[in-house]
Amino acid sequence: MPQLNSVYRHRAADRVLTTVDTYRLSGGYLALEKALGEMTADELLYVFHRSGLRGRGGAGFPMGRKASFLPKDAQLAKYLVCNADESEPGTFKDREIMELNPHQLIEGMVLAGYAIGAERGYIYIRGEYEYQAQILDAAIEAARESGYLGSDIAGSKVDFDLTLYRGAGAYICGEETGLLESLEGKRGQPRLKPPFPAVKGLWASPTLLNNVETLAALPPIVENGPDWYAGMGTEKSPGTKVFSISGHVTKPGNYEVVLGDTTLRELIFDMAGGLREGRSFKACWVGGSSVPVLAEQHLDTPLDYESLQEAGTFLGSGGCIVMDDSGCIVRASLRLASFYRHESCGKCTPCREGTGWMENVLQRMVDGEGRMEDFELMEALFGRIGGKCLCALADGAVAPISSAIRLFRKDFVRVVSEGSPLPQPMSPQLEMSGGRANA
Amino acid sequence: MTAEEIRAHLDPIRDQFAEERSLVLPALKFAQGEKGHLTGDDVTEVAAATNLTPAYVESIASFYDRIYLDPVGKRVVSVCVSLSCMLNGSDELLEHLCSREGVSHEGGTSADGEITVQEAQCLGACDRAPCLQVDAEETMGPVTLSEADAVADRLRAEPQPRPVLR
Ligand SMILES: Cc1cc2nc3c(=O)[nH]c(=O)nc-3n(C[C@H](O)[C@H](O)[C@H](O)COP(=O)(O)O)c2cc1C
Repeated sequence: MPQLNSVYRHRAADRVLTTVDTYRLSGGYLALEKALGEMTADELLYVFHRSGLRGRGGAGFPMGRKASFLPKDAQLAKYLVCNADESEPGTFKDREIMELNPHQLIEGMVLAGYAIGAERGYIYIRGEYEYQAQILDAAIEAARESGYLGSDIAGSKVDFDLTLYRGAGAYICGEETGLLESLEGKRGQPRLKPPFPAVKGLWASPTLLNNVETLAALPPIVENGPDWYAGMGTEKSPGTKVFSISGHVTKPGNYEVVLGDTTLRELIFDMAGGLREGRSFKACWVGGSSVPVLAEQHLDTPLDYESLQEAGTFLGSGGCIVMDDSGCIVRASLRLASFYRHESCGKCTPCREGTGWMENVLQRMVDGEGRMEDFELMEALFGRIGGKCLCALADGAVAPISSAIRLFRKDFVRVVSEGSPLPQPMSPQLEMSGGRANA
Repeated sequence: MTAEEIRAHLDPIRDQFAEERSLVLPALKFAQGEKGHLTGDDVTEVAAATNLTPAYVESIASFYDRIYLDPVGKRVVSVCVSLSCMLNGSDELLEHLCSREGVSHEGGTSADGEITVQEAQCLGACDRAPCLQVDAEETMGPVTLSEADAVADRLRAEPQPRPVLR
């Protein structure tokens, strides 16, 4: 068999698969029939485990292992929750799956639900994805009509149904416990962990929570076997990952790569079309905005969890933002700081206060009022914010900024000593291409 | 919006949640669909429909960017200003729309009450940077300055959709 490296069926088929029929023609729902008809829940759980699939929402935790943490003997109902909040700057991979291939997510959720013994699953979708939510609504309804959701799915006696829950604009609701709070009708503020959601999640019941891309990978894994999936990529990073690439590249978009096979340079320069004429590479946030920034010397790093970690960053959500030499690292860092200040939920003081301080100091640098003492102040801030909060938002806010000051110290020092950041303003490709509406 | 109308909307989905409290966000979004924002009375009606106190409902409503407790324009245009969009000119786009609509450069509602321009955090359309979103329904990009003008003109000419999805 040729090495199939499109785990996501709309990519393999190169077409939109929003109906049950088109999805079935591409091999869809066969895994569901096979698993619910022929496999026990534990066998299915073992398949997830063997595949080595790691969570694609950012933390990279092995999916099968997380699923096996749900207590088997619990009297409480169990729940499956899909994280479709996708609000990490630079990340738009889940959007594509929901928009073009919603049934693969639904099929993946039925498989995961069956494996953990849940009868209801929730998809928590960000409010700004109303267009995608309507596609999902229609797909859920169609799947129900075709007997793939509801009671006695495909004649297997298994019951499982889905509820789509719309958020209303809050990055923090992508954090797993913030999401659960929001879904319970509370302010979306993270909980103290442990207990982890696998033990005490939604309504204090055992809950498996996974990202869209993670859950959508399950049907092909079941269909082709876990060894097929584990055979791709590296030992620690099996399978494929969709990278969303944007910023200063000529062909921004989603690219699915076999982990470990492709370098950052190949992603940027071969797949995403490289930079604009006459521009050179400056910086890149490879795993979304919450990871340490990389520079030119990191371009030959293979895209997998362990290599990126060795290079000093994280694979994160795979939302790769590229900046060329027309961009200013101080301005870019300020923009990220503003994002985290805006999105801090305010529950933990170090994050609530610290993100504002980081923004203020960077703002004053950009305004030409920076002082050399600000470097010390920033270092002190990093130490007081990082690792001191209930969730990882604060660490994610520190990572891109502390790394930028470290890697591009000369640029920061120049801005502070010369009193104004150059170049500016960011000149857009605005008049270059025509706007396109959805998809 | 009356509590009765809100209840009628919630009844079909009520049994999908172990606790009634989960209905607060669907209720707020539904009630907001009537005018595009929520009045104090709407909050009270949502509270009645979900068996919660108005103060609790308001504490939820105020948590989310896309629940509006103050009047906004007939249409809300959100310009993404996160990093990928900034690198592709979102600041110019936002500035252009703000000055065109005669609002402060941080956004606001046009004098004729037709259009609210606001900054948005990453809209998940970085492949189409700079992007903007009309209410919560239509995300477009890359948007040139002249296209932004055309969008604003079109929104003025169009009737406000019902329900308003923000
Ligand atoms: C501030 C913050 C925001 C997050 N946003 C998202 C998100 O939008 N989507 C997502 O899948 N995971 C997000 N995560 C990660 C989740 O907490 C969680 O690890 C993930 O959804 C688990 O799914 P996975 O194991 O399949 O990756 C976020 C984490 C933090 C700290």
